[in-house]
Amino acid sequence: MYIYRIMLFLVFGGYLLSPVLMSGWGVPDIAWYRPFLIWGGLIALGVWLEQKRKLDER
Amino acid sequence: MNASLAGILALGASYLSLLFLSAMAVEKGWVSERFVHHPTVYSLSLGVYASAWAIYGSVELASQVGYGYLAYYLGVSGAFLLVSVMLVPIQRLARTYQLTSLADLFAFRFRSRWVGTLITLITLMAVIPLLGLQLKTLGDALQRLTGSESPTLLALLFCVPITLLAIMFGARHSHLPVRHDTLLAVIALESLVKLAALMLLGVIALYGVFDGPSDLQNWLEGPGLVLQNDITRLDTGQWRVLLLLFFAAAFLMPHMFHMTFTETPSRKALLQAGWSFPLYLLLMALPIPLIVWAAQRLGVDTSLPGGAYLAFELSTNFWIDGLVFIAGLAAASGTLIIVALALAGMTLNHLVLVARPPDNRENLYRRLLWLRRILITSVIFGAWLFYYSVGQRHDLADMGLTAFVGMVQCLPGLLAILYWPGANRKGMLCGLVTGCTIWLSGMWLSLLSEMSLMELLPSSLAWLQDEPAWYVVTLIALNANILIFILVSLVTRTSSGERAAAEACSVEAVIRPQRLPLTARNAEEFKHLLADALGPDVARREVENAASALKLSPQDNRPYALRRLRDRIQANLSGLMGPSVAQDIVDRFLPYRTDGARSTDDIHFVERRLEAYRTRFTGLARELDGLRRHHRRTLERLPIGLCVFDEEGELLMWNDVLAQLSGIDGNHVIGAHRDGLPSPWGDLFKRIYDEPQDYLYKQAVTLSSQVRHLTLHRALLPPEEGDHGAMVILIEDHSELKWLEDELVHSERLASIGRLAAGVAHEIGNPITGISSLAQNLHYDSDDPSVLQTAEQIQQLTQRVSAIVGSLVGFAHGGRHIQNTRLTMLKLRPLVDEALHLIHLARSGEDITFDNRCPLEIQVEGDTQRLVQVLVNLIGNARDASLPGGRVVLDADVQENWIRLSITDEGHGIDESIRDHLFEPFVTTKAPGEGTGLGLPLVYSIVREHHGDIRIDSPAPGQAQGTRITLRFPRPQEDKPQPPQDDSYADEQNSDR
Repeated sequence: MYIYRIMLFLVFGGYLLSPVLMSGWGVPDIAWYRPFLIWGGLIALGVWLEQKRKLDER
Repeated sequence: MNASLAGILALGASYLSLLFLSAMAVEKGWVSERFVHHPTVYSLSLGVYASAWAIYGSVELASQVGYGYLAYYLGVSGAFLLVSVMLVPIQRLARTYQLTSLADLFAFRFRSRWVGTLITLITLMAVIPLLGLQLKTLGDALQRLTGSESPTLLALLFCVPITLLAIMFGARHSHLPVRHDTLLAVIALESLVKLAALMLLGVIALYGVFDGPSDLQNWLEGPGLVLQNDITRLDTGQWRVLLLLFFAAAFLMPHMFHMTFTETPSRKALLQAGWSFPLYLLLMALPIPLIVWAAQRLGVDTSLPGGAYLAFELSTNFWIDGLVFIAGLAAASGTLIIVALALAGMTLNHLVLVARPPDNRENLYRRLLWLRRILITSVIFGAWLFYYSVGQRHDLADMGLTAFVGMVQCLPGLLAILYWPGANRKGMLCGLVTGCTIWLSGMWLSLLSEMSLMELLPSSLAWLQDEPAWYVVTLIALNANILIFILVSLVTRTSSGERAAAEACSVEAVIRPQRLPLTARNAEEFKHLLADALGPDVARREVENAASALKLSPQDNRPYALRRLRDRIQANLSGLMGPSVAQDIVDRFLPYRTDGARSTDDIHFVERRLEAYRTRFTGLARELDGLRRHHRRTLERLPIGLCVFDEEGELLMWNDVLAQLSGIDGNHVIGAHRDGLPSPWGDLFKRIYDEPQDYLYKQAVTLSSQVRHLTLHRALLPPEEGDHGAMVILIEDHSELKWLEDELVHSERLASIGRLAAGVAHEIGNPITGISSLAQNLHYDSDDPSVLQTAEQIQQLTQRVSAIVGSLVGFAHGGRHIQNTRLTMLKLRPLVDEALHLIHLARSGEDITFDNRCPLEIQVEGDTQRLVQVLVNLIGNARDASLPGGRVVLDADVQENWIRLSITDEGHGIDESIRDHLFEPFVTTKAPGEGTGLGLPLVYSIVREHHGDIRIDSPAPGQAQGTRITLRFPRPQEDKPQPPQDDSYADEQNSDR
């Protein structure tokens, strides 16, 4: 259950900070795929937490 | 316009045919079940979320607001990343109570059919623009590709096969809770097609229009930079509201609710979707900016209307245009099919059946099936009507956002279902009606007319004048909704039914279902009672399905089992007709008894639920649950039997030892009433209940054809504050103890007899000595040979009597005799002859033939007197058992380590029931007065003193009747020390005893 809280914290934290994502469009110094990298990182965290949950509930 | 109408129609028809064929392949089992049931297929099927908005609307949004288009993907991804917190609790509720739609869930939680009806109406109003959007993109794409003047008619043409597909997938069976594997597989295929098409378009943009990533980056930093500055960036408030709208869509949109909760193959699949579905969305979102930038690079003015269809500008190739069209068709058809299925179910359960409840005169299943088909068709053609009459005038964002803003009005209610048990129906309804009124007047009205809410804004909200309508409406409607919901819920009373439902729904609440007795006494009565509502056939089928799901036998009359059966029937009917109608039917036709029966908590059910949810506890709750489990395990593993009854006599616990002792599995009796327990337990517990004392000692009961002696102790747990009373009963198996007690009494009696025998022997000894002396004197007093022979025989007999009396004393003193006796080598044949000689002295058995076949050379080591005593006893028994004219054979042989002597008669044999007890004292087969029952125990004792053993075979081997007694003595080893004695044979004999 603690891992769900981690994800809750991350998702709502991400919600509050997410407007930063929009600033990358049309900005020369920022790679266009940056939002997707951050998004991919969050998914990787989800995969890792899912593995942790399986171990926790085994 | 570079494609012929026929070509595009053929392409569309081919794609829809592919769906038909795929469905058939799954139905016929041509596709491996392992593949169809894989969690990835479920994750892909959730891709139904990526409707035509994801193909066209996102491109339009990206060209207008840059990365603002990501809100559509990130919002729903957030919801799925929170799968354990948000989605699993809803899925649990949907699965447990067979809730197939949002309206079902609301009607179940707020205990009102009108709530379900309202949610259905709101969903219809909200989703029709979304469906219109799907058809609009279809029509617009066809018009763009073919230049057709009647895109609405072309869209209508596609509605026909889509409707047929929807009916094929969702309305071929009448029972909705059955999962539709075909539907999942086909929607997953559609998702794959969408993804593949978009990825291909991304590749075409990146490598066909640009020369790879570096060229794209150079263009973005160079010529493209000016074009990017033209986009309007969403402000943070708008961005967050968009995220919230799409977050809520994950579980509020009817197609998402249907796929996420109704079609879930397993909890594991849903948890995997927590990351795999966001990954799918990421891949779907990735090509969108590439398409926009590629169109800009090609010189397309993306600020003009029609920005949704920029993908068609990437190439003039028919197949690339066809790819875009197929992606749009896959997205639109998937959404139309699933939304139609979900809306048809909602409308049926919450509008049609509420207006006209089912009766028992018609075939219910058939009626429901046809109603569902009609409703699916109505939904799809209703959407087309909306597109035809309204949708043509509006862009995709207007229509899509109207749908999402409408559905988000249900978000406060849904969150309250999960996290606020204090919320009530009045508060939810007031909030929802307020929010929806603002939404309808702010967004729906502007779709139908040119009126705008902005014109009606009060001066205090003038600062919102410049904001987009969807943003203003969402802010005002949602805030008003939440505020009124909370306030009204706090100041109004919550009904007990709502409280119970809230407890069942709430994530954190402790579920304490009530335990009330039912009027029906078994499953057969359920069928009879339900037949009045559903007709006999449907009632029988529903009861049998429910009983089968719970693995209950039709004869099960346990109150607990009947309550579970009722709950299951209600859940199944809820899946068929919605929770409102199901509850009405069950309440009316399967009522609880109201004859003063008191409701108590169903502790067993609570424990089962706690077991199921234990991985979700944290902190103190987890510690307490650990403690509860420890105590329960202690009771279950207690080394004595334990059972617990509640105040009404319903069995709550039946531990492992009791299950082993009784041979009854706890799962089969828990929940049964005390009087309904199988024999002898019902009577036994009744006795201890009636007993004035708290115990019952050594009650003889027959268990598994054996008499057992059980001791019962009871402890009454009086009711305490917040808790109900119970009766704890401990059951100890005292059978062994009883046997030992009996043995002790028996041994004591033997000891008494032993002491008596010693006394008698002493008393007999003196006259015997006198008789022996007198017989000896006869040698001197007479020369008559016959007198001398008689005197000799008298002396022999007196010695024999002395020996027997000595043996009796020896037996009484527990085998001490041999210790002081010197063993000598003895030939067996003379011993047998001597014993036979003594036997012949008796007058009985004169017509019996004794045949001594013992070889002369066989010797044993032993005491003559005692071995003769053994042989006399055994030969005497053989003689007594023999029929007139019978034969007794005595034989001996030498084995490797043993000397074996057998005595075989042809008599009536020994009864099996007594055979095992023959060596016990006072056990005899002879008539009263003819045998003391001491002979064989004495034989056994003497043989054991000689380190031998004894075996009885009856009937004798190779004979139809008779008995063979076999004695074994260790073979004498004159030159070597004695080998260790092999006691296995003796042990076998002991165990036989």
